[in-house]
Amino acid sequence: MNRVWALAVITYKEGIRNRSIFGILAFALFVLGLNVAVAGFFMREIGKVTVDMNLSALTFSGLLLVFFVALHLMAKDIDKKTIQLVFSKPLSRGEYIVGKYLGILCFVVVSLLVLAVFSSATVLLVRGLYPNYFAGFSWPVFFTAGFFILVQLAVLSAILILFSTVTTSSFASLIFTVCAYLVGVTIEDVVFYVKSGFRTEQISEAVKQTLDVVSHILPNFAMWDFKLEAAHGLVIAPERLGLALGYAAVYIVVVLALACLCFQRREFN
Amino acid sequence: MSIPEIALNNVSKTYNPGLFKKKVQAVQDLTLEVGRGEVYGLIGPNGAGKSTTIRVLLGLIRPDGGEILFRGEPLRHGEFQKEIGYLPENPYLYDYLTLEEILQFCGRVSGCAAEDRRRRIDELTGKLQLDEALRRPLRAFSKGMLQRAGICFALLHDPSIVILDEPMSGLDPLGRKLVFDIVLELKEQGKTIFFCSHILSDVERLCDRMGVLVKGRLARTFARQDFAASQAAELHLLLPAADDNLRAELETLPGRLAAVAEGLLLSIPPSRLTETAAVLARLGVEIRGTRAERVSLEELFIATVEGGVS
Repeated sequence: MNRVWALAVITYKEGIRNRSIFGILAFALFVLGLNVAVAGFFMREIGKVTVDMNLSALTFSGLLLVFFVALHLMAKDIDKKTIQLVFSKPLSRGEYIVGKYLGILCFVVVSLLVLAVFSSATVLLVRGLYPNYFAGFSWPVFFTAGFFILVQLAVLSAILILFSTVTTSSFASLIFTVCAYLVGVTIEDVVFYVKSGFRTEQISEAVKQTLDVVSHILPNFAMWDFKLEAAHGLVIAPERLGLALGYAAVYIVVVLALACLCFQRREFN
Repeated sequence: MSIPEIALNNVSKTYNPGLFKKKVQAVQDLTLEVGRGEVYGLIGPNGAGKSTTIRVLLGLIRPDGGEILFRGEPLRHGEFQKEIGYLPENPYLYDYLTLEEILQFCGRVSGCAAEDRRRRIDELTGKLQLDEALRRPLRAFSKGMLQRAGICFALLHDPSIVILDEPMSGLDPLGRKLVFDIVLELKEQGKTIFFCSHILSDVERLCDRMGVLVKGRLARTFARQDFAASQAAELHLLLPAADDNLRAELETLPGRLAAVAEGLLLSIPPSRLTETAAVLARLGVEIRGTRAERVSLEELFIATVEGGVS
């Protein structure tokens, strides 16, 4: 565990000192500032729009952190052959995967916490400016939604690690991870549409079955999306939270186990 | 004979670059042994398979066939890694970490106690003149400093076997001397050193034994004593280049004739010097000088690579 933690610490430090995060932070601050500037245009929806915009800014900034900083924390090791130096030490490939994941996770958690502080300040400010339009707002639900953004990023980081272990270029890992995310956020809607009676055209059984399999293999990101509840101040049932957390934990463990398996087979030329 | 520290028996490795691309046989039936406390230099042209040999040894790639023994037992990665220090060619370390952080990481994963880590960091960075750069991020390091940082990374846990891939690469003369002295010191400490280099003068000065790798095969192995033996037994006369007729005449003389960069080298027994000098005078061939060694490592290397060593 000491070796895993040593790797996690240097991965975290390498990530948190990366200058790209200043750009991502600046982007998030711009969106949050924009939120304050334009909030007044939404009349009775100010509260909902503010919460939605804040959580979306957190999600998008988090995605940028994973796609452009976390990706390099793993892929650069392979591209630049630093991994050869790391594996010349008594560190197994499984320990490497877990260490890298923990480091990336720490980096994402800290970055998101910083963004969450700014986001909360923005909500506080807009709420102070327009107190009448935040009647249904609830801080616990807002923070729960924020926490599940972190859960989404944790799952996405595990997927990124898996793709980094099987592809030979960081660009391919990026493309596959982005695709997995896009499919993951839309899969629930697609499955719902196919199973519902709204559609007019016929869909073959084979397509339905394929979709069913894909919907289980790919992460269903909608499971961890509580923006709607936060925007409307709706109470989230504890069972739903438990199920979402359990699904995320199982998914991360399975994906990391697969990554370890693939990494064991990999050769480093 | 004692059990060698590292033994490669008939190790082969073929790279498969993918569909529609020709397979590359990087190493073929490679057999070599490195004894305890020995300095073994693996030399060869680019693409000869030197780095592949090291990667197979480190477990970064799997050999297609053959076996690797560590102290007589089949090599088990993990155990082996505790005993080795490895410096790759052009080491790339983490940009945003400081040298101290990367060395602390190295010590932690190698299982060194905190006080040992501190002591070794101070000792190594002092020797390699990096003590003032300890708290600077590695992205601010020059190529030579990175190479020295890589050496610190390799040696921090005081390994018994040191594997160096082009350790002098990118170093200025002073840096080369520093590294040269470190390798000599390791040799004096009885460490086993396996290294690849293109700088043949360094290999010649540092290594007890050398292997020439050509197209993935070990074409020749020779010991430093081989040079000493050739030096003592024969007298080497340096002659100008000659046309075919003259060369045919020279070949009738006692000893051996070999082409070298400066012309021809005639190696004769010392007792035949007077007689040979007389014949050379009659043929109008001047003796331009003598050489201590019949062939330099460079000539031997080129001849081996071209497949015509005598």
